[in-house]
Amino acid sequence: MNLKNHKAFPAGIKISLLFIYLCSFFSPLSLLADGSVVSKIYHPYVQPLEKEIELRTLYEKDDNNNDQQKVKLGYGQSLSDSWFGEIYLIAHKDGGDAFAIEAYEAELKWQITEQGEYAADWGLLFELEKEEGDAWEAASTLLVEHQWGRLIGAANLSAIYEWGDKIDDELESKLALQMRYRHSPRFEPAIEFFSGQDYKGIGPLIMGREILGPARRLRWELGASFAISSDSPDLTIKTALEYEF
Amino acid sequence: MRNNHCLKAWPELGKSAAWLFVFLLLSPLTQAGKPLIEITIEQHLFVPSEIIIPANTKVKLRVHNRDATPEEFESWELNREKVIMGNSSTTIFIGPLSPGIYPFFGEFNPKTAQGKVIVE
Repeated sequence: MNLKNHKAFPAGIKISLLFIYLCSFFSPLSLLADGSVVSKIYHPYVQPLEKEIELRTLYEKDDNNNDQQKVKLGYGQSLSDSWFGEIYLIAHKDGGDAFAIEAYEAELKWQITEQGEYAADWGLLFELEKEEGDAWEAASTLLVEHQWGRLIGAANLSAIYEWGDKIDDELESKLALQMRYRHSPRFEPAIEFFSGQDYKGIGPLIMGREILGPARRLRWELGASFAISSDSPDLTIKTALEYEF
Repeated sequence: MRNNHCLKAWPELGKSAAWLFVFLLLSPLTQAGKPLIEITIEQHLFVPSEIIIPANTKVKLRVHNRDATPEEFESWELNREKVIMGNSSTTIFIGPLSPGIYPFFGEFNPKTAQGKVIVE
């Protein structure tokens, strides 16, 4: 069979089927990371010479009016034309408590394929996080992205291992999906789906970017995720500001 | 209890990974035989500054930066941004695109480095 000329399943349809398949496949899972399942969705691209400062916030509220807040401050820079490294300082606040440093994180992103070269763009993300005390988390995440005209679909599929005196050693998995509409550089609406430990949620996201000068950009995001399983926090709000230079 | 969940989940994760792997293997089959177009950056200008490509066709742009300084090929319309280091070359894949005009520019020298892709 000549697969190259086989038109029964065009590339776009194949990607759509894969997206739906992954979504349905992971929905029943309830075994994921101990941290917040709602997080940044990564894209499999790296730019040489790029540096960025990143500020992310996360607010979670459940039906008992317990709220938690998390702030991540990061610095990242490309290490080559296909590798990007970033380090984070993570602070956490539970209810009326004050913010306290909770964890440190390092991550490495690897762009595997050139954007647009194949039916989908591929990358890998490696993360290592250490919480205060003795709790560690290492994760490998497969990054996939595909474009259908003005629509962009992104999938992050993670395998996570946690260990340490404070927590049970365990293997987990996590899925995050994003479908984004490229309305304009300053405004791109999206919908996101997250499935992780004790959490399944879906919600809208808006994002945009401002060009501040040659090679200087500010990207922003504002999103909400609403629980679709009973043991999830009812509402999660996330924000992000990234200054690229 | 949680570890039991993990054990049950890993065969499922493996199945998904296998699916993705097969998809990755098949992906290159869709990209053979793309038209190749060469663009040169010289004195912060794209040469040629206008390129014409066929509609609904994936095209390979080979961009050669003859300047000593880096340049970034940037186009929101094409959904591409790619840094080309000084005195080096890179490949950018664009399309398939609908007929129309898609501007691009050099982000480090936006006043001079400008061009457009005309899709017919």
